[in-house]
Amino acid sequence: MQTFLMAAYVLVWPAVVAGVLFFIARAFIREWRQAREDGVPMI
Amino acid sequence: MNGVGEIQLQQLGAPLTIALLAFFFGGTFLISLSISRRKENADGYMTAGNGIGFGVSAASMTATWIWAASMYASATSGYTYGISGPIHYGLWGALMILFIYPFGRRIRALAPEAHTLAEIMFARHGRSSQLMLAGSNVLGSLLSLTSNFIAGGALISMLSPISFSQGVVIIAAGVLLYTLWSGFRASVLTDFVQVCAMLGAVVIIVPAVFFAAGGPSVFVEGAGNLTAEQSTFFSSDAFLNQGAPYIAAVLAYAIGNQTIAQRLFAVREDLIKPTFITATVGYGATIIGIGMLGVVALYLGIEPMNGDVNNLIPQLASTYLGPVLLSVFFIMIVGSLASTADSDLSALSSIMMADIYGRNIAGGKNANPRTMLFVGRITMIVATAAALYFAGGRMNILDLLVFVGALWGALVFPVIASFYWDKVTNAAFTASVLAALAVFLPVRFGWIPMEGVTGLVFDVFAVIGIGVVAGLMVFGFFGARAGRITGTLAALAAAPFAIGFLHDYAVLSSSLLAYAVSTIVCCALSVRSKRRFDFRLIAARTGNFDEEDAGQASPGRARPATAR
Repeated sequence: MQTFLMAAYVLVWPAVVAGVLFFIARAFIREWRQAREDGVPMI
Repeated sequence: MNGVGEIQLQQLGAPLTIALLAFFFGGTFLISLSISRRKENADGYMTAGNGIGFGVSAASMTATWIWAASMYASATSGYTYGISGPIHYGLWGALMILFIYPFGRRIRALAPEAHTLAEIMFARHGRSSQLMLAGSNVLGSLLSLTSNFIAGGALISMLSPISFSQGVVIIAAGVLLYTLWSGFRASVLTDFVQVCAMLGAVVIIVPAVFFAAGGPSVFVEGAGNLTAEQSTFFSSDAFLNQGAPYIAAVLAYAIGNQTIAQRLFAVREDLIKPTFITATVGYGATIIGIGMLGVVALYLGIEPMNGDVNNLIPQLASTYLGPVLLSVFFIMIVGSLASTADSDLSALSSIMMADIYGRNIAGGKNANPRTMLFVGRITMIVATAAALYFAGGRMNILDLLVFVGALWGALVFPVIASFYWDKVTNAAFTASVLAALAVFLPVRFGWIPMEGVTGLVFDVFAVIGIGVVAGLMVFGFFGARAGRITGTLAALAAAPFAIGFLHDYAVLSSSLLAYAVSTIVCCALSVRSKRRFDFRLIAARTGNFDEEDAGQASPGRARPATAR
């Protein structure tokens, strides 16, 4: 049981990172599309 | 036990290393080229127009806060302090971003179009306060730049036949190449690609190394390699040596770091909260995740190459990853150091443009935007050359970093109070920072014997520092009353445990003293002040320099130039 929990402790962080990466990338793509539709620079 | 000596370390080879670097820096250069303008806007060069969206700003905040040194340090913490080590490094580093967010909202409300925190101090107090903050920002960014170049050179020399010096020059040239023309605009946009590389690599590499090293069975076979302190989540050793000094530094690094302030002024005002929260989670998970490699190394009984714990991560990667994943790892580290280095260059150029040239030399309204851009670009070149010089000699920057950290700690209360308390004066600000430094230095470097009554007196002040740190953290979210109550309770709760032994921990004790002394002196000199500051003056005294093209700086909206 303790081995399983330790493995989960190591592997949960990459899983959280994957979630954050998805969240950021989705927002970026939306902003990029919006900027293209509006014909304005993103930055 | 899988000692590293039993396994052949592999390198990438010079052609592959050069190809990866060309791919990375060539790609970032092309991205920066896509947004460059023949005639850049001076305000856009510093803040990208105060209106960037959530995706770009969250990516940029995350990428900037993650630097190569934090990845190495988290793994070192895991290797040194065991299973709680990465938490005591990554969690508090992440909270630095979170705890600055309520203050960030206040700062943005007071100065919607400022460029640097020091510029606001100039508007609030005057020159001495501004230059103290700007000076600490410059020193901090230059040290950070040097540290990233050293990390780049060390990585390249470890994973390829290319020498350390050649590696440092390649990294410096690559970063300067894509940042020089468009400044902060290039920095934030390339941060998105860099954060994808870094976070994507963490998602793949941490599990890959873990399973290649043996997977869950590592925790059974290697349990004997850990001491009792390393085996527990509640290690007092890890807390007192790693976690507690970091908690004390939480506000200091966030206030003192211009790269954070620059993004605070760049993001659209209504997106400050989600940006800071996302960056908090992103940074924390990434750094703690990388720190787990240090924990795995501890279980495996690995000895760091040449006795240097900074070699642990590259050593694990080159031991357990094949050429493809090793290349991914290489890009991850290069991405982490490049994103922070370009932010440092942008921060340095903003300070020289806005604080030195704009406010002090040209006197605000006479500042020429073309000259400002010239100053910004020259600053980047000079800063790169200086960092190359320091990195080339492998200068020991640890003592300087300690000094800068203390300077930032001494600045925290006076800076925050200046945004909320209308009685704080320039004299109170300056005297409190200088007094805090005068106490910090002898304690930190052991110039005063701490036996007997002296140690107890300093412990009492350090306990007040605990109250100040806790009080400020709560104050940001819940207001002055909650802050005062929490600060008092925290100091009273800590006193029985801290008085009598806290002075044995010089790093922690001296940081807390800097907070306590600056707070006491600032309050004592301000409380009887008859002068009241009108905070509306800050917005009127800060704002755009480049009136001609103000609309160009802001994506998607045109706005009038702000009066200065």
